[in-house]
Amino acid sequence: MKLLALMKKEFARFFGDPRLLITMILPGVLIYLIYSLMGNAIFGGEERYAFRVYVSGESAVVDVIDGAVTQNGWTAEFVYLPAEGAQTAEEALEQVQSGQADALLVFSEGFDEAIAGTGGDSVPTAGLTYNSESDGSAAFAALAGGILENYGRPFAFTVSDSAESVDFARSMMAGLLPFLIVIFVFSACMSVTLESVAGEKERGTLATVLVTSARRTDIALGKVLPLSCVSLIGAASSFLGVILSLPTLMGISVDAAVAGVGALGYVMLFLLIVSVVPLIVSAIAVVSTLSHTVKEASGYTSVLMILMMVLSILAAFVSGIGDWAVAIPVLNAVVSMQSVLTGAMGVWQCLVSVGLNLVYTALLVFAIARLLSSERVMFGK
Amino acid sequence: MLSTETPFSDFGEEVVRAENLRKTFTLSRKQQRLERTDLPRKVAVDGLSFTAQRGEIYGLLGPNGAGKTTTLRMLSTLIRPDSGDAFVCGHSVVREPQKVRDAIGFMTSDLKLENFFTPSYLFDFFGAMHGLEKSALAARKRELFGRFGIDRFAEVKVRDLSTGMLQKVSLVVSIVHDPAVVIFDEPTNGLDVLTAKVVTDFLAELKAMGKSILLSTHIFSLVEKLCDRVGIIIDGKMAADGTLAEVCAGDSLEDTFFAIYRGIKGVTV
Repeated sequence: MKLLALMKKEFARFFGDPRLLITMILPGVLIYLIYSLMGNAIFGGEERYAFRVYVSGESAVVDVIDGAVTQNGWTAEFVYLPAEGAQTAEEALEQVQSGQADALLVFSEGFDEAIAGTGGDSVPTAGLTYNSESDGSAAFAALAGGILENYGRPFAFTVSDSAESVDFARSMMAGLLPFLIVIFVFSACMSVTLESVAGEKERGTLATVLVTSARRTDIALGKVLPLSCVSLIGAASSFLGVILSLPTLMGISVDAAVAGVGALGYVMLFLLIVSVVPLIVSAIAVVSTLSHTVKEASGYTSVLMILMMVLSILAAFVSGIGDWAVAIPVLNAVVSMQSVLTGAMGVWQCLVSVGLNLVYTALLVFAIARLLSSERVMFGK
Repeated sequence: MLSTETPFSDFGEEVVRAENLRKTFTLSRKQQRLERTDLPRKVAVDGLSFTAQRGEIYGLLGPNGAGKTTTLRMLSTLIRPDSGDAFVCGHSVVREPQKVRDAIGFMTSDLKLENFFTPSYLFDFFGAMHGLEKSALAARKRELFGRFGIDRFAEVKVRDLSTGMLQKVSLVVSIVHDPAVVIFDEPTNGLDVLTAKVVTDFLAELKAMGKSILLSTHIFSLVEKLCDRVGIIIDGKMAADGTLAEVCAGDSLEDTFFAIYRGIKGVTV
């Protein structure tokens, strides 16, 4: 009951003040706007594409795609194999890989008849090969892929990316994202925790709670839990801002940027962030409890932030970090995020990181409770 | 109605008993310079013993730095004595701090209320901190807010209250759980005459309710007006302890205090 009252007070303090709520959500919005603007400035605005697409086999769907291309204000030249410059599908594929052509569409023999049910017994197939390193190719793939996905089934449809663009996109995301996430998560945690812990200590309102019969662990948890929830709002806002704007910043499509990370990958990313937030909140709360003023706590927290940044840079840009990294708080989350984003995700690595971060959080909460009991810390001059 | 029953009937009349309380603090180099001493530690309270009786107001009187606040902080369990012990309603401040905190209401200028909240919210919050049920809390809020004229300001944020009203709210919040013993550290310090009167009236009312009150002050008139017993602390030691009549022996409290002070310090004041 006491813990609940302590938590409710923190939530009331936060949600009763719209300014605090805005400061949590605003960073994500700003990140999205600024990064998107930067991306557009670097990679230009709306493109006018003129696609060159090789087609193997025949289907009326090509006309449907052509119509959609025209509707978008683009043009497409569909070249049927064998053709001059590309006699076979393999040669056409090479041209897609080299960027000379935008895509290769392959239809099985009697594709349209098979769909209509008047052809043979075998399942008709359609294949789309594109090159995500090329903006034009990616744009065509998005358009044609969407049409084929919804075209009169049943038929087997496969999409393949002939380039290493997904890996490129992933490596870009893997390099930048964990670093950015840690910084934004830390900023979100810092803005609420410093005020709530160091601020209350400085103003003497924390001591008023200490005179009551509430247990010190309840008081510590009553800070860490709600502050973590509140920080998570800020962290989620910043995370979404980064996720949504990074493709634009990198000049690639959203599909290419997020392809392969998958639902499980996003669940893991979310869990890692959720485990890092209370850890960082607890760490800042320890520093805040030890400090006499918000100003002093800010100074110490800046050192903590630099340490976090060094750890995340270390993980993001130094290769060959061993399994031992899982034991290091924050670093374990960064390394795990990196694994998720590069597609080398180890579910156990992520879960161990999440578990260890929660254990570290529990230890820090215990430390806060001890500090709250310390007269030298709470009432020392 | 406010309860005048105390949960410590088996403890007899001594609601507070301090036994050889001693507290020292480490001095930083800066503090050593300010204190003009080479000693690394300062003895704030040195073997202090006294008792406060049920239903009475006990005043700890002494100059600044005498150890009054340190003593009250030990009694309220905010700090631990180096040696000795004190018992509040029979509970040891060293071994049972949580039970002591349940039995006391402590108010000092160092303990503040959050500006962002209203008196009503804070009353409920601190009531929950002391484990009070909602219905009991609501009844107590009605009674205390009505009695001290806070009801009209119940939903006004603390930052918008006048100093006098804020002091009333602080007093009321400190006794939200109807404690048997109320401890006030320098309750009128820094207050204007009107607000100080609010506090002294409040103390008198608490006494009328049968509460046991322990207060520290360096204001003679406050002790003479309110206190049944007085303890004079000088340099952390109890220099005199007893009823006002016993301590003063016919003189005024002020004359008595300075006579004792001169006797101990060997200086003319």
